[in-house]
This record gives sequence, structure tokens and C-alpha cells, in this order.
Amino acid sequence: MRRDFRIFATAMTVLSFTLILLLGAYCAGLLGSLTGLGGGVVVIPLLTLLFGVDFHYAVGAALVSSIATSSGSGSAYVREGITNVRLGMFLEIATTIGAVTGAFVAVWLNSSVIAVLFGLVLLLTAAMQQRRKSDHDGVVGSETARRLRLFGTWPQRDGTLKPYELRNVGGGFGVMYVAGILSGILGIGSGVLKVIAMDGLMKVPFKVSTTTSNFMMGVTACASAVVYVQRGNIEPGIACPVLIGVLFGALTGARLLKRLDVRLLRQVFCVVIVLVAINMIYNGIKGNF
Amino acid sequence: MQLRIARTLRWGVGIACALAAVGGCIYLVQHGAEPMKDYSHFSYGALPEGFENYTTLRGILRGVSGFTAYGWIQLGVLALLLTPVLRVLLSLVDFLRQRDWLYAAITAAVLAVIILNSVAP
Repeated sequence: MRRDFRIFATAMTVLSFTLILLLGAYCAGLLGSLTGLGGGVVVIPLLTLLFGVDFHYAVGAALVSSIATSSGSGSAYVREGITNVRLGMFLEIATTIGAVTGAFVAVWLNSSVIAVLFGLVLLLTAAMQQRRKSDHDGVVGSETARRLRLFGTWPQRDGTLKPYELRNVGGGFGVMYVAGILSGILGIGSGVLKVIAMDGLMKVPFKVSTTTSNFMMGVTACASAVVYVQRGNIEPGIACPVLIGVLFGALTGARLLKRLDVRLLRQVFCVVIVLVAINMIYNGIKGNF
Repeated sequence: MQLRIARTLRWGVGIACALAAVGGCIYLVQHGAEPMKDYSHFSYGALPEGFENYTTLRGILRGVSGFTAYGWIQLGVLALLLTPVLRVLLSLVDFLRQRDWLYAAITAAVLAVIILNSVAP
């Protein structure tokens, strides 16, 4: 098996590996919370491409960082009342069952398949970042959504609360199941599918769908994480620097987000994601992992 | 209630971080100078030696009482995993208190999926 694409290929000590990974995980948490994609998107390429770590360990580390980002930056949003807790909880039925399915399927997949899948999710993520962010004014909600009492309000700039309605509950629920499966296989929050479901299909205002997606990420990751611990995918020597680094990175990111304009950063990050995705798919197809 | 959820999250995350940091210090003191472990291959059938020290609850707790690095780090990971579960549990209490039976049932279903998947072999 060739691994000549990794950068830190020579023998390192445990100390230098831990410190470099700690620094990398901090950047991952920072970028993950600034761009809203979660830490796992950066942690996986960091471990596999730079350190030559097996994908199965990287997925375990990504799960840890998904929960850390969600819990680390999520508390701020719940307090501001943007998150639709009912909607999140209802859709979590789909994502948690999906995550269990994904963790079950993951045993049969080898690293190359996981790499190609990860690359495709990254490409989709980059494409979705180019979309116009819509508040979906004047959506008439469906009867199912009304019965499930999924409508909500969200705070505007001037401090008033604006009500919104939503529709296509079944379609959203289905896409969420797929998002859960991907999260169970890849360990990342697969926020892109969650936003497709809520923003694209159910017509939830953009800000509400991103914060609700972040709210759901931790719970979804949790549904498959215990299985990953039992299978040995979560290795303490990797998990420790990732947990601490991502957590502090996410905290810094949540604080910076309040006064920073991140549009340029998101654009640059988008290009980087596409490059990493191409790398993953190419090496995956050639069987280099 | 929302405030309580936010506070729980912050505490859970803080405890997880502290536990992992203790484990990390032990790890670096004992093994810091050794060459990096080979993480380049993973297979479900052949885990590294001593894997039960970080994959089973009994192994982890034994490690914690024996002050091993892996025990403490993995206890931190478990604390982190419990944070979202606690959040769901608090939401359940909240819905029950509001007499919102539909959402109490939905929340209970989410909780059941997580717990069943965790205890089933």
C-alpha cells in the first residue's frame, strides 16, 4: 500500500505528533465553527492526508470533533432562540436511526470507498455554499407540519419576532435519514444534507436551518459513537488532542463569529474543500488509502 | 429551560475536556519520547494489543482507578458523548412539564434509539 502522498512521513515522537495534532485540531474547530461545517471536515483530511492515519481511525476522531463543535458552539444559539427545538427533535428520529444504519454499514466498507464518499460529500458542500441564502418569505405551510406544530418564530435585527411556516415534512425526513447514514459512516455532521432538507425542501429560513442543523449534529453523532468506541475506532492517542483542540477552536470561533465578516474566508475555504475533495476521490479510486 | 440546556452543555464539555487533559498529561509523561504509533492500518478483526483498555467500559474504569492515560482520556470521551444525551433528556423533561405529550413521545423515541444502540452488542 503506497502512502507517499502524506507529508509527515518520517518517524515522529508521540510528543511532536500530539502537539502538531493539537494545533491542527484547534484550527479545525476554529474553521469548522466559522464556516458552519463542523470540525470533522478538516480533521479527516488532516489525519489521513498529512499523517497517513487509516480512515477508520480518522472517522472515530471526526465523530469526537462533531460532538465537540456542536456542544461547544451550540449553546450560544439555543439561548438566542433561533434554533427550532421541536423541528430538530422531530428530525432527529430520522438522523439517529440513519446514524445507526450507517455505523452498521461502515464495517463492510474499506478505506477507499469511504474516501470517495467523503470527497463527494465535500464537493456537494462546496456547491451548496454558492447558493443564495433565502429567508423564504410567505411560505404557506403544509397540514402535516401544522399538526406537528413545527412552525416557529425567529428574531429579526430590530428585535421583533417573525413567524414562519414550512412544508414537505416527509421529503425533509427522508433526506435527514440519508444525512444520518452519512454521518454514521463518515463521522462528520453532514450539515450540507441537513440544510438541503430544511432550507431546500421544507423552506425553513436559512439562519434557522443552519442553527437547528448544528443543534442536531451532536445528538446524531452520539447515536453511532458508542459503537465506534466499542469497535476500537476511537483511539485515545488521537482522540485526546482532537477533543481538546477542536473544543477550544470552536469556542474561539463562536466568539469571533459575532464581530467578523466571514464571507471571504468562506470563499477561500470553499476552494480548499474542492481541492481536498479531488485529492480524496483520486486517491480513493486509485486505492491509495 | 433553554438556559439550563446551555449550562449543561458548557459543564459537560468542560468536564470532558478536563478529564482528557489529565489523561493527555499522563500519556505524554509516560510515552512522550517514544516514536509515534503506527496508525496507518486498521482492521476490525485485529485490534492492537490491549484494545479492551479503551473499548470496554470495564477496561476504561479499571484504567481510571489505575491512573492510566488511556483510561482517563477515554473517560473524557465518554463524558463528551453523554453531553448530547443529557441535552435530549432535559428536553424530554421540558416537554413533559409543558404537557406536550406528542413531543415528549418524539424525544423519548430519540433517546431510545441512542440507548438501545449503545447497550445492544
